[in-house]
Amino acid sequence: MVLIIFEGRFSTLDSAEIIKFENVSYKLENSNALNDFSFTLNKGENLVIFGPENSGLEIICAITAGLIKVYQGSVNFKGREIKTLDYLDSYSVRKEIGYLQKDYGLISNMTVFENIALPLRYHSHLSGFEIDNLVNNLIEQMNLWHCKDLRPVNLRKSEVLRTAYLRAVSFDPELILVEHSLEGQCQINAQTFLRSLKKESFSGSKSVIFITYYPRLFTDLSDNFIMLFEGNTVFSGNRSDFISTDNEYVRQYLESSLEGPMKIL
Amino acid sequence: MSLTGKILKLRNGIVNFYKYTESIIISFRSIKHLRFRSILTIAVNQTKFTGVDALPLIASIALIIGATVIIQATKNFPKFGIEGFIGNLLVLIIARELGPLITAIIVISRSGSAIAAEIATQKQRKEILSLELIGIDTKLYIVLPRIIASTLSIFSLIIIFDIVAFIGGYMIATTIVYMPISSFFRTLQEAFSFEDLIITLVKSVIYGILIPLISCYYGFMTKSFFEIPIQVSRAVMRTLFIIFIINALISVLFYF
Repeated sequence: MVLIIFEGRFSTLDSAEIIKFENVSYKLENSNALNDFSFTLNKGENLVIFGPENSGLEIICAITAGLIKVYQGSVNFKGREIKTLDYLDSYSVRKEIGYLQKDYGLISNMTVFENIALPLRYHSHLSGFEIDNLVNNLIEQMNLWHCKDLRPVNLRKSEVLRTAYLRAVSFDPELILVEHSLEGQCQINAQTFLRSLKKESFSGSKSVIFITYYPRLFTDLSDNFIMLFEGNTVFSGNRSDFISTDNEYVRQYLESSLEGPMKIL
Repeated sequence: MSLTGKILKLRNGIVNFYKYTESIIISFRSIKHLRFRSILTIAVNQTKFTGVDALPLIASIALIIGATVIIQATKNFPKFGIEGFIGNLLVLIIARELGPLITAIIVISRSGSAIAAEIATQKQRKEILSLELIGIDTKLYIVLPRIIASTLSIFSLIIIFDIVAFIGGYMIATTIVYMPISSFFRTLQEAFSFEDLIITLVKSVIYGILIPLISCYYGFMTKSFFEIPIQVSRAVMRTLFIIFIINALISVLFYF
């Protein structure tokens, strides 16, 4: 069991392993998109993976979601090797992962309500009435009631984010992947959203992986941080390590300095 | 492009379409996990757009075609005894050939283009990817309701086309030559066989599968926003071409 302190609250979490990357390497035509990458995320833990562009951040999401299956090493999601999953199991695993995309991917000809209800209508055995109640509750919790019948084109950015988040978690997944989703948002929207995320997701036993270019946004939130550069892990540590590190990659990245080991251009 | 290049391109196109069709067939494995309520709205909306909304256009064209056929017949054939073969003529030209073909052309122009454009846009906006990430088998979720809607709509539209063309044809014909209603519909009834109905059904099913299948294929093929109009145009032109060939093949197969 792991004891975590979160916003003054204590909660005990089962340390069951949710996802484990072991020596994962993935090659693109000319370069190593990901090289010997490993981490383990237990139930209730969260992790920030950051780094500059072209560091392999997006590959991690794609592998976790089973979109990429040809790689070296192993990726276990709740004890199941992702690359050996068959056609039906691949889809089955995805419904256990709430994926908040960079582009949000809301279905443009569906309303906010229909977007959130979509995974439930497709996957769940709940009746239509039960789904309606559940979705209405979620909409109310995230203050989207005023726009529940609007389509994505009529929404503000923060409303799009919250709708996409509710769609990702409506089926109550154990793992949530947040892929650059806060990066087009204004700071206040991002912080408001993170506060909701803390309240809703972290109170239980959900695990969250944040893929981001802005790790500082998650300093108060995340337990662990990993930095990638050109597919290699250049930093890995917990929150206090991240705050106090003198790792030259992290320092250069956080200070947006052109001087250091990373030559981007 | 050289002839060899063109042949290679055609071959690759056929191979890609084969793989796509195979992936649709494979996706039927997940049909047991599919809740039909999730595709019901799509099927209803598609049926409304493909079938109901196309009705005024279909009816107008059927009326014009029916009238034109009768006018040409009365003008070029002897007026005496025309009621004896007018039913045959209508069944031969309208029910067997023009009805299904014109209906298919209208469905391709309206719905096929719309399907290709919708899917291409959804793909570029990462909506298809987001469906996949939710665990939705997009091949089944997108293609199946459109096939159901298209098949139902095309069958209904062909029947309506034939009825309107027959009635319209009769009404026009009576302004030119005297033709008792009973004898017109008797000859029509005698000319229209059960086989014609079966063939209409066969054509509806084949067109109903092929039109959304090909349109979706070109929608899925799109690689950028820039390509959307090109792929929509390809979807329409190639579906039309294939439907003309299929129509001719069915006619040869059943009537020759």
